[in-house]
Amino acid sequence: MELPFVQELIFGLVTGSYIAVGAIGFTMIYGLVNMINFAHGEFMTVGAYIGFIGAEMLGLPVLGALLPVMLVSAVVGWGLAWVVFEPLSDTGPIPLLLTSIGLGLVLRNGIRLVATPEKRFVNLDAPTFRFDDLGFFVTGQHLLLIGTTAVAVVAVHLFLTRTQTGKAMRAMSDNEALARVTGIETKTVRALVWLIASGFAGLAGYMLAVGQGATPGTGFSQLLLVITAAILGGAGSVYGAVVGAYVLGITISFSIAFLPTWATELGTTMAFVVLIVVLLVRPGGITGEEVRA
Amino acid sequence: MARNIDDTDETHDATNRRTVLKYAGVTGLAGIGSLAGCVGVDGGDGASTPTSGGDETGGGDDTDTATETETETGPESITFGQPASLTGKWDFLQPAASQSTDLAIREINEAGGILGAEVSVSRRDTAVNPQEARTVVNQLVNNDEVPAILGLFSSEITPLFDFLQETAVPVVTPWPGATSLDTRGGDKGTETLDDDGWVWRTVIGDTVGTLGAAQYVLDQDVSTMGILNGTSQGERSWAESFRNAYEGNGGTVTKQVEVSEGKASYQSELNTLFEADFDAWALAVGLQDATTIVREWDSAGYGRQLLLEDGLRDPDLIENVGEQAEGAWIAAGSSEGPNYDSFVEKFREAGDADIHTWGVAAYDATNVVALAVERGGSADPETIQQNLGPVAREGGTTVSTFAEGKEALANGEEINYDGAATPVDFTDFGNVFGDVTVSSVTPDGFEIEGTVKADDLKGLVESY
Repeated sequence: MELPFVQELIFGLVTGSYIAVGAIGFTMIYGLVNMINFAHGEFMTVGAYIGFIGAEMLGLPVLGALLPVMLVSAVVGWGLAWVVFEPLSDTGPIPLLLTSIGLGLVLRNGIRLVATPEKRFVNLDAPTFRFDDLGFFVTGQHLLLIGTTAVAVVAVHLFLTRTQTGKAMRAMSDNEALARVTGIETKTVRALVWLIASGFAGLAGYMLAVGQGATPGTGFSQLLLVITAAILGGAGSVYGAVVGAYVLGITISFSIAFLPTWATELGTTMAFVVLIVVLLVRPGGITGEEVRA
Repeated sequence: MARNIDDTDETHDATNRRTVLKYAGVTGLAGIGSLAGCVGVDGGDGASTPTSGGDETGGGDDTDTATETETETGPESITFGQPASLTGKWDFLQPAASQSTDLAIREINEAGGILGAEVSVSRRDTAVNPQEARTVVNQLVNNDEVPAILGLFSSEITPLFDFLQETAVPVVTPWPGATSLDTRGGDKGTETLDDDGWVWRTVIGDTVGTLGAAQYVLDQDVSTMGILNGTSQGERSWAESFRNAYEGNGGTVTKQVEVSEGKASYQSELNTLFEADFDAWALAVGLQDATTIVREWDSAGYGRQLLLEDGLRDPDLIENVGEQAEGAWIAAGSSEGPNYDSFVEKFREAGDADIHTWGVAAYDATNVVALAVERGGSADPETIQQNLGPVAREGGTTVSTFAEGKEALANGEEINYDGAATPVDFTDFGNVFGDVTVSSVTPDGFEIEGTVKADDLKGLVESY
């Protein structure tokens, strides 16, 4: 008995996985720093290239490169935020948004100058598991991407719910002024948010480099989906971002598979149709305001 | 004095001039050769005439005051325009085209320049974006005042075709394969500009390239195929042209899937394609997408013979997916024209760019434009347009470089530029024929499997 939708479900989960990890970082910045960071895509690209350097040039194992990717990305993102965004934090959302667009452009072209436009792959020598009777297969790469995301989501959940810093972040997300008067060092928390969000952006980029290869425009090309996932799930909600990412990934895969093949844009189009429908029904996104970081 | 078609004496015809030239050749008298240069003012072959004006080494008649005037009033410098893919998804192809163009420009200047004028190239980035290309062409024509353009891809020319006709500056380009250009460029072989199309290409079109690919595939007993192609003009053109050629010669395409380019993953599209039954599949997308698709195809284990479009014949493909794509066929217009060997040696010395068909064809594009100016005696767009055919079509002294052509023209001879990429025998529509080479991908590079000769393809193309 063949189950053709299973194959598309796997593809959708893989697509959703790297969108989810990117969206976690994006939505944390949105929820706690109150800015839409358009340079988030480039933070992802930074992670992709750090991973390439680690795994392909320095010879680290693919999994072994995860930690340096997250650490370096975190420091780079935090450093840039402190130099570029924090001094402008009182200027309002529009200057910050435009600044982030500019920073993204600078980073993208800077990476292009150094890394050249060629596509870089992190090679993963993993087997493919075939289930011919059921009509699907799953590769080691698929499992790595889905598994990494699962671990990342659980880690974020534990951090937010079991640690003092995580609880402080949630409190700050709900009401920064109130958090401040209760003694929470909001400046320190903001710094931690930048570190964690940038680390997750780097991880998402690295997952892209392992899965599909990285170019200087890799992160930017995924940014629209990342933002869409965050809004779909409920802007500012970490769990919502993850849910939104998987809804998007599965929608795209099923649309490509089961809608007419001449309609090449239908996959992405359907993702946005879902976004519009969800927002019409639930303006706050899938998870609304119920579960915020 | 060299003159344009507009100011030629139409009572004279090509026969008169060629007769004198032939006589000059038979007698071997240098003076007659010079005389031919002067006699040639009639330009009755539908184009303006060769001149020695401005050429210190040329064989111009010292008593020809008109030529002296040309020397005195000729341009001090000539700048050609080059819209370039310095950024964007095709940027990996530009280094070879730039290196070839610069090589040709250097050779032209070493030969004394065109009409004695130093030549340069103004290169501006379009990122192969039609809107950007339109801006760049405007900048080149209006700001840089270039008399000819050495570039533009199919994706740019097709939507801008009417604009380019209105601009009325000849575009001689090494890039486009689009079938839409099969019957739209060139000079129709007539003497007037009225029916001209201002686009010429020194690389074979998709109609010829895909016909060669289809012939090869059918010869290998592949009777059914699937096609996965991108939606940009170049990819669509290749895919449609290949499909027509393949099905027109007895093959069957059982499934064709178009994909939006620039995506991170194509797993679902591949799965959709491979639900169909076929012997082999063709892939027509840009290099970056192709590497992703080939990796996903390999890891999924879909199997079946792969045919890659010509644009993917690049060392980066080998570097990224040489192992995964091992055994895949890639059909491309042969870059090895009559003078390829002499060109490639100079190319290697000129820089470290990876050579490819379009890079070689860029050398030819630059040379034919330069020779057209030299033959016409004026660096204005109309003169170049009228002289492109005459310097490259069959007949006259065969030359392979600007220096050779310049010398022959100075001797009053007609010339036939034989190129590095193809013979550059322009058809009436400004197109060229060339061999189609089929290679297979190996981890170490491309290995030539066979060649479909241009002569075998000529009879199979109706209008081109």
